[in-house]
Amino acid sequence: MSAPALPAPRPAPPAPRRPRLGRDWKTALLFLAPAFIVMGVITFFPLAFQTYISFTEFTIKYIRPGADPAPWVGLQNYEKILSNNLGIPNFFFVRQVIYNVWWAVSNVAIHVVLGVAIALLLNVKGLRFKRFWRALYILPVVIPPIIVATVWRNMFDTQHGAVNQILAGVGSLFRIPAEAFRIDWMRQSSEVFPFLPDDVSYFIPLAFFALLAANTWLGWPLNAVVATGALQSIPGELYEAAEMDGAGPWQRFRNVTLVYLRPAMIPYAIYGFVVTFNLFHLAYFMSAGGPFGRTEQLVTQAFRLVNEQRLYGVAAAFSVFMFFILLAITLVTNRAAKATASFEG
Amino acid sequence: MKRSFLTAAMAASLVVSAGAVPVAAQDALEGDLTLWHTYSSGAGTELDALNAVLANVAAANPGLNVEVLEVPFGDVFNKWQLEVASGEGPDLMIVPNDSLGQLTRDGLIADITDMVPAEALAELSQLSIDGSSVDGRLMQVPESLKAVAMYYNKDKVATPPATTDELLAAVEGGLKLGLLQGIYHNFGFAGAFGGSLMDADGKCTADAGGFAEALQFLADLKAAGAVIDPSYDNMANGLKDGTYDAIIDGPWAAGGYAAAVPNLGVAAMPAGPAGPSLPFAGVDGWLINPNGNMELAVKAALAMTSAENQKIFADTAFHIPANTTIAIDDPISAQFATAVAEGFPRPQSAQFGAFWGPFGDALNKVLDGGMAPADAIAEACVAMNAANGF
Repeated sequence: MSAPALPAPRPAPPAPRRPRLGRDWKTALLFLAPAFIVMGVITFFPLAFQTYISFTEFTIKYIRPGADPAPWVGLQNYEKILSNNLGIPNFFFVRQVIYNVWWAVSNVAIHVVLGVAIALLLNVKGLRFKRFWRALYILPVVIPPIIVATVWRNMFDTQHGAVNQILAGVGSLFRIPAEAFRIDWMRQSSEVFPFLPDDVSYFIPLAFFALLAANTWLGWPLNAVVATGALQSIPGELYEAAEMDGAGPWQRFRNVTLVYLRPAMIPYAIYGFVVTFNLFHLAYFMSAGGPFGRTEQLVTQAFRLVNEQRLYGVAAAFSVFMFFILLAITLVTNRAAKATASFEG
Repeated sequence: MKRSFLTAAMAASLVVSAGAVPVAAQDALEGDLTLWHTYSSGAGTELDALNAVLANVAAANPGLNVEVLEVPFGDVFNKWQLEVASGEGPDLMIVPNDSLGQLTRDGLIADITDMVPAEALAELSQLSIDGSSVDGRLMQVPESLKAVAMYYNKDKVATPPATTDELLAAVEGGLKLGLLQGIYHNFGFAGAFGGSLMDADGKCTADAGGFAEALQFLADLKAAGAVIDPSYDNMANGLKDGTYDAIIDGPWAAGGYAAAVPNLGVAAMPAGPAGPSLPFAGVDGWLINPNGNMELAVKAALAMTSAENQKIFADTAFHIPANTTIAIDDPISAQFATAVAEGFPRPQSAQFGAFWGPFGDALNKVLDGGMAPADAIAEACVAMNAANGF
C-alpha cells in the first residue's frame, strides 16, 4: 500500500503591503494644516523662543519693539539656578524639587486611599441617598480654585480662622486656654516633629499640613467617583465564587476588588500626580510659599521669577528644568502603568 | 474702571470747596490723554481730590479729553512696565517714586528734564525735585511728599511715646500697638538706633550696627504684646475699629483714619538712642510714558500740580504738597510734613533695589523664626552685596 498523499501546503499569506499615500493625501494635509499652524503659533514657537531666551539675560527692556537682542549668556542662567544664586531670599532649587515631588506623592496617596474607602462605603448595599452623597462630593471640584484657596486661607487664619476656633472649642472641654490655639499655620517655622532630623523636618512645616488639608478636601471626590465606576463594573458572581471558595472579607477585597480597581485607579493616580505637582493656587494664595520658601513649588517659583523679579531669561531656564523633571516623572509613571496593565496577562 | 470725563467733572463739583480756583492755563491744552491712578486703593479722599483737580483742568482746557483709569496699587507698576515695554500704555500715571530708578534704567518712563520749564520747579521743595530725579535727570512731575508716622487715638493715648523706650514701656503697660510686618513701615527705627544702610558705592553697611538693634526692638515690642501683622488691612482696620490704640502708617490713609477715629492724632515715629527715626521720605509724581503724547502729558501734569490744585489735595486728602508756598493748616498734615523733612530720602540707585528681599526676609526671620537679629542682618547684607556684585 502506498502512503496517503500529503495535503498540499497552504499558500503563504500575502506579505503585508506598505501603505501608500492615497490620492487624497494633499486634502488630508490641508485639513491638518490649520491645527498645525495654531499649534505652531501657540505651542511650538513659544517653546522654541523660551528655550532661546533661557540662554540670554532677557529682562523687560528687551521686550520693546526695536530693542536690541538680549545678550547671550550661555548656561549662566542654568548655573545660577543650580547654585541658588538668583539673589532671591530662601531660594534652594534642589529642595524645591524634593518638596514638590513629596507634595505630589503625599497628596495622591491620601486622595487614592480616601477616595477608594469612601467609594466602598457608598457602594454598600442598602445605603440610602446614594445619589445625593455622590452629587455632594463633587462640589469641591466645581468651586473656582481662587475661592477655594481664599476660603481655606481664611479658615487657617491665626486670629479669626475657623480651624483655630474649633480647636479652641475642643480645648476648652479640657480647660486649655484659647490662647494656646492661636496657631500661625502659614508662618510658623518651628518644627512640627522636633524628633525628626532637620533634613526631613524642613519639608513638613505646619503650612504643609494646612495645604494638605485643603488639597485633600479638593482631591478625594474625583478619586471616589473613579473608584465607584470601577467598583460597579465588578461582576457580583466573582464575589459569590470567592465566598463559596471560603475567602474572607479581606481576601475578597484583595483578590477581587483591588484587582478590578487597579486598572482604573492607577492611570487616575498618575494624572492626579501631574496635576498636584503643578498645583498653583494653594501654594500661591494660601501659604505664599512660606514659611521662608519651604512650601514654594516649582510652578509658583517660575511665576514669581516672571511676575515679581522680571528675570525672564532665568524664568525660561527654570521652566526648561521643570519640563525635563515632568518628562522624567511621566516616563517613570507610564512604565509603572504599563507594568500594571499586563498583570491580567 | 473707565470713567467719562463728564462724570468726573460732575462728581467733583460736589466736593470742590468754595475756595478752589480753576487752573488758569496760559495756553489752553488740546488733545486726548489717558491717565492712570490708584487712589481708590486708599481712603477715598484722594480720589475726591483728583476729581476736583480734573474738573479744574477741564474748565480751563475745554479742548482736552482725559480718559481716567483706576488701577489697583498692587498691579499698577507691573501693568505699566508690561504695557510700556510693549509700546503701549497710558500717557501718564500718578504713583509714588518707589520704582523711579528701575523704570528709568529700563527706559520705561520719559526723561522730562527739558520739557519742564524752570519756573515750574522754582516753588517746589528740593526734596521733591531730588526724589523725582535719577542721576540728575527729572523723571517725574512732583506732586506730593510722604513718610510714615504714628497715628494714635487721643481718647486712649494722652501723650504719644516720643522715644523707643517710652513706646516699649507703654506697650508693656497696656498700649495696644499694631505694626505692619514690613520693612518699609519699620525702616525708620534703623535710623533711631544709628543704622546706615549703604555707603556711597551702594555697598551694604547695615551690619555695622543699628539695624540689628532695630529688629531686636521690634521683637521686644512683639514680646511685650504689640501685634506685628503682615496684613496691611488688619493693621488699618485695627485702628479704625479700636483694636489698636496706635499704628504706624502714611498720609495716604489719613482720610480713612480721620473719618473713623474722631480724636485722631499723629506723632513722629519715636526717636531712639541715636536720634530721631528716619522713615523713608518718598515723592508722589506723574510719570510720563515715552510712547505717548509726552509734551501734552507733561503740560497736563504741570496743570494738575499747580499751586491751586496742590492745595486741593492738601485740604482734601492730607497730601504734603511739593509746592513750598502752600500753607499746611491741618495738624495731621503738618506732622507728616515734619516726618518728611526729617526722613531718609528713598534712594533710586540700582544697588538699593537689592535691599527689599533680603531685609524683608531678615525681619520675618527675626519675628517669625526667632533668628538672632545680628545674624539676620549679617545674612541680609551678604545677600544684598552678592546681588549687587560686591
